[in-house]
Amino acid sequence: MTLLNLTRAAAPARLEARFLILSGLVVLLLLLPVLQVLSDGHNYVLHVLMVIFMYVALASGWNIIGGYAGYTSLGHPVFFALGAYFSGVLLVYKGWSPFWTAPLAGLLATIFGFAFGLITLRTRGPAFVISTIALLLLARLVLDNWEWVGGSNGLSLPMIGWPYRFYKIPFYYGMLLTALAAVWVSYRIRHSKLGLFLRAIAMDEIKAEVAGIDTRMCKVIAFAISAFFAGVCGALWGYHQTYLRPTIFLTIGAAADLVLINLVGGRGTVAGPVLGAALRVGLDELVVNQIGSTELNITVTGILMILIVLFFPGGIIGALRERGRLPRLLDWD
Amino acid sequence: MALLEVRDLTKDFGGLRAVNRCSFTVEQGSITALIGPNGAGKTTVFNLITGLLRPTSGRIYFQGRDITAMPPHRITRLGIARTFQITRELAELTVLENVVVHAARDGLAGLIRGSILQHEAERAMALLDFVGLAAMAREKAGKLSYGQRKLMELAGALMAEPRLILLDEPAAGVNPALLEEILERILQLNRSGMTFLIIEHNMDVVMNLSHQVVVMAHGEVICQGPPEAIQQDPRVLDAYLGAA
Ligand SMILES: Nc1ncnc2c1ncn2[C@@H]1O[C@H](COP(=O)(O)OP(=O)(O)O)[C@@H](O)[C@H]1O
Ligand SMILES: [Mg+2]
Repeated sequence: MTLLNLTRAAAPARLEARFLILSGLVVLLLLLPVLQVLSDGHNYVLHVLMVIFMYVALASGWNIIGGYAGYTSLGHPVFFALGAYFSGVLLVYKGWSPFWTAPLAGLLATIFGFAFGLITLRTRGPAFVISTIALLLLARLVLDNWEWVGGSNGLSLPMIGWPYRFYKIPFYYGMLLTALAAVWVSYRIRHSKLGLFLRAIAMDEIKAEVAGIDTRMCKVIAFAISAFFAGVCGALWGYHQTYLRPTIFLTIGAAADLVLINLVGGRGTVAGPVLGAALRVGLDELVVNQIGSTELNITVTGILMILIVLFFPGGIIGALRERGRLPRLLDWD
Repeated sequence: MALLEVRDLTKDFGGLRAVNRCSFTVEQGSITALIGPNGAGKTTVFNLITGLLRPTSGRIYFQGRDITAMPPHRITRLGIARTFQITRELAELTVLENVVVHAARDGLAGLIRGSILQHEAERAMALLDFVGLAAMAREKAGKLSYGQRKLMELAGALMAEPRLILLDEPAAGVNPALLEEILERILQLNRSGMTFLIIEHNMDVVMNLSHQVVVMAHGEVICQGPPEAIQQDPRVLDAYLGAA
């Protein structure tokens, strides 16, 4: 009967090809650092991929609240900084490695996101984005003046005790794992009741509420889950940089980056933030290679990204879907 | 005990008193009509009952329980479903999804289950079949005609397994053939025990459908009773002529 098809559950036979391709890609990415051991000079490739993984995790996480639920957050750098400082302080004062405190940093960000969401997601609509900007500014103020974590001068972290030649490898794996987890969670949510409810909220929150959905709780849960990945990424990135400063993390620019990545790839889709992140980092590398690393490269990347958004309002995924050209490999919605 | 009791309900919008000390009841198993000229405050009463607005004063009881100012989703879960005067569909979702979002779920754990469970799909398809939209189940809701959206909202309301359904002008803007369809469905549901509170302008519809009529004007309930009595009440005539 046709009912089976309506539930979207089944049809595994036709999915296999893309599962194979993606599994192959993941295996390739998992094996890539072996090249590093066999020969010199692959730090750059590992580095760029690591940054892509980080943005994939950040943007996919952001998409859960910002895309599915349609609630734009400019506060995600706060969770990133929270993770970075939490794991950084534990490293400096206790000697605990961020590689195992990173999940705890994520958890802390989740709890913090949950509490913040309970207060600010009571209201519907644009008040939320304002509250996240306020949070960003407040966090900046706190970190700038909190001497125990270095104040505005920041906090130096000890380098990882690991041969310099293989320096990137643990970070590479850490970010890869985080990105895979983020995409998997994003995919699962997209196809869960929570995902259906979040999309309903994005379209008409009053209708969703009257349909019997506890819209506030759904939004808060989405925001809290979304914060988790920012916390984990922050913990790993801070350790990688060996230096924490409020100005690196807590900027509107960093917040807008996540919005832009989602807009370019396709906000509210599973594959959108992945594509957007790869494009964002790839373009940036290209521009830096062409014109050197200056303030200009950020501007050029930004302009390129904005052009894409202008020409494809639904992002790349949206544009392809509209034209019926979205390959199954990218269609996870 | 009445299924729904509205007691001394008042709602101010700034200086405007949209609803003024309204009191009425809806009996279990009845079809009660809420009528009155445009701007009388009928939709506002619906918004108060369903929790979308908080009353300035007064109380609302459902099955003897005070539901005043509960969040809308809780009121829905207690058994009051509604449709909107101007339909609100989730345009980018399919018709099937539009119906399934109304399904009750159990607790937090329910959130991580599949977006449409098998038994929900079956129930939703049965309801879509009931309102004649089964063939449209996989279409985007935004593609439906206005009348079809009203029917989809009715199916959604039923999906919530309510004890009371509030319909805000189900006949307005619907072509006559589809109107027949909607009225037939309402009567059919009522015969199997469903209670309705219906805002309606079309007097023929009101007289044919309802057991009890509540008449509002200028935010007040000016009279209530069986349709035959209401039809002859001079105050009702006054209210409609006065507003014209
Ligand atoms: N959200 C609101 N804010 C301000 N005034 C409102 C609001 N909703 C309704 N009103 C006003 O309250 C009065 C009653 O409106 P309504 O309940 O929609 O009437 P009806 O449904 O009987 O036509 C009208 O004067 C309307 O303009
Ligand atoms: Mg009205």
